[in-house]
Amino acid sequence: MRPPDSESRQMLLFILRRLIVMIPVTILISVIGFIIIQAPPGDFVSSYIAGLEAQGDIIEPELIDSLRARYGLGEPIYVQYFRWVSSFVEGDLGYSMIYREPVVDVIAQRLPSSFTISLLSLILVFAIGIPIGILSATKQYSLADYSFTVVGFLGVATPNFLLALVGLWLLFKWTGNVAIGLYSPEMQNAPFGLAKFLDLVGHIWLPALIVGTAGTAELIRTMRANLLDELPKQYVTVARARGVKPTKLLYKYPLRIAINPVISTVGWLLPVLVEGEVLVSLVLGLPTIAPVLLDSLLQQDMFLATSIIMILGILTLIGTLLSDILLAIVDPRIRGAV
Amino acid sequence: MDELAPPDSAMNGSLLSVRNLQTHFFSREGVVKAVDGVSFDIRPGEILGIAGESGCGKSVTSQSILRILPRNGKIVGGEILFQNDDRTIDLATEDADGRVLRDIRGKEIAMIFQEPMTAFSPVHTIGDQIIETIRIHQEVSKEEAHDQAVEMLRRVGMPNPARNIDEYTFNLSGGMRQRAMVALSLSCRPKLLIADEPTTAVDVTIQAQMLELLRDIQADLGMAIIMITHDLGVIAELTDRVMIMYLGKEVEHGTVEDVFHRPQHPYTRGLLASIPKMEPGRVEIEPIEGVVPNPYAMPSGCKFHTRCPDFIAGVCEKLDPPLTEVAKGHEVSCFLYGGKEGLE
Repeated sequence: MRPPDSESRQMLLFILRRLIVMIPVTILISVIGFIIIQAPPGDFVSSYIAGLEAQGDIIEPELIDSLRARYGLGEPIYVQYFRWVSSFVEGDLGYSMIYREPVVDVIAQRLPSSFTISLLSLILVFAIGIPIGILSATKQYSLADYSFTVVGFLGVATPNFLLALVGLWLLFKWTGNVAIGLYSPEMQNAPFGLAKFLDLVGHIWLPALIVGTAGTAELIRTMRANLLDELPKQYVTVARARGVKPTKLLYKYPLRIAINPVISTVGWLLPVLVEGEVLVSLVLGLPTIAPVLLDSLLQQDMFLATSIIMILGILTLIGTLLSDILLAIVDPRIRGAV
Repeated sequence: MDELAPPDSAMNGSLLSVRNLQTHFFSREGVVKAVDGVSFDIRPGEILGIAGESGCGKSVTSQSILRILPRNGKIVGGEILFQNDDRTIDLATEDADGRVLRDIRGKEIAMIFQEPMTAFSPVHTIGDQIIETIRIHQEVSKEEAHDQAVEMLRRVGMPNPARNIDEYTFNLSGGMRQRAMVALSLSCRPKLLIADEPTTAVDVTIQAQMLELLRDIQADLGMAIIMITHDLGVIAELTDRVMIMYLGKEVEHGTVEDVFHRPQHPYTRGLLASIPKMEPGRVEIEPIEGVVPNPYAMPSGCKFHTRCPDFIAGVCEKLDPPLTEVAKGHEVSCFLYGGKEGLE
């Protein structure tokens, strides 16, 4: 019924424009990321030597120089940057000095589990947060609303690592299992199959739930507030006065508008979850990317740190693009404006 | 409803009969008696005006009829009898979101609201919402509903109905939004249209267009209209009869001719005197003394006695004045015209 040409062309133009904008932003992220990693005094070699000297080793100055030359640490920063960028674009992320293996390998081992936990958390955040938010708004000031509000504030206020510790203890108390890692010890090296998958499912829910707690609590608050803003609006009363059924009315009109800000946050939720899992991963001993990022920053493992930051940055950009596209599909006002 | 005799005798030929309606709002600060015993009838095809200052309960009256009151508003007494074909339904006692009311809303009784911009959902096309209304109340295909919607848009004077149907409100001008809103409420050809301050939020040229449109459509479709406004000019121009309200009470009720040319209640007289006159040499406005009382602390007796120039001490602050018929079909609730016999 609607002229399909102009609508889809408008949409295509919108996506194209967003893609073009992403290019300079990516370059900016790489420059800033690189500079920040380089900013602290010293480099990996100096902290490596400091470590060796602390153990009483005596380091030959020639060794130091050869190490520096190998990693190009003596060059001016812009030379280092261009060298790093050109190999990054080719897919060579450099060499991790802590792990003594290519950065690609370090990341490849850990990114999948990080991703799985984050994605699962994300799904849990939405599956729990949105319905409870709707309930809280439609039954404002009811017992359920008050209870969820209390639980929600507790969720925001409790640090994740504490939740992880409590979860660990409770699980041990009740089942006798120690929920550390993503797999049971006997499954650790088994080939991936149904048994290993079930083992993963048995372990992953705890970290996913804990990582998602704060996000869920926040989403409940956001969803509730947005919906409470929309419910008294006139178009809701008008729809009611036209004879629209209460449930259909809620889903078709106010909810559709109330959910827009939630969609627009999906983009940056993913990196936030990765970030949020640092302490949880440390406590639960999970092989995820977050503790690696922490380590690499502490020990100035520049290639590893810069690569992880780049990947998180690009993830954010992709996430933002996706949520913008979703938003444009849902809300005609945005389609028209951009 | 079963105890009613044959509907026609109970309704006396009226389409809608509101009897002693009381709608109160409950909040932490107390109870606001927004509508406190209002009665009126409207016959098929008639245009009734309800006028009064803001806060007098005129909008709450209309929301009560359709049962779309805000959450803290409740009908605590009275009847709202609606003659639906050969059944008389008391809208006041039905479930607010139940089947009976949903079938009446939008189909038998429709409403036009104050703000055309916000009457439509901003993320749906106007056609989407008109077609939805048609398909809730009629068993027609999407295509058939679409054609009906285009036809209704043409009837309200949209310049390009076939295209306008796929537009969003933010793409339409103020006047077109008004028309779209009228088309939305008339999409199922209701027997009664309630217009709640439809001309308040727009400039005068659109206001004039709106009144003309309503008059045309009314002549065309023949529905009854309840026109709710604070603008006495609109009442004079459009309606047959008028009810003046003050603080949830009916103060005067009669034909436009009677009420405007022979106003009886001191409040009505005050309202009419406060309209700026355009005659040469006379520019003075006579405002009503005082301010509207706090809704949580209503005056005793006649609600208007605190501002009334004809206040009768010992009477008005003690008793609620009953409605007195001063001429045929012209009723006033004021002790100046009797009703104080019960007192000393």
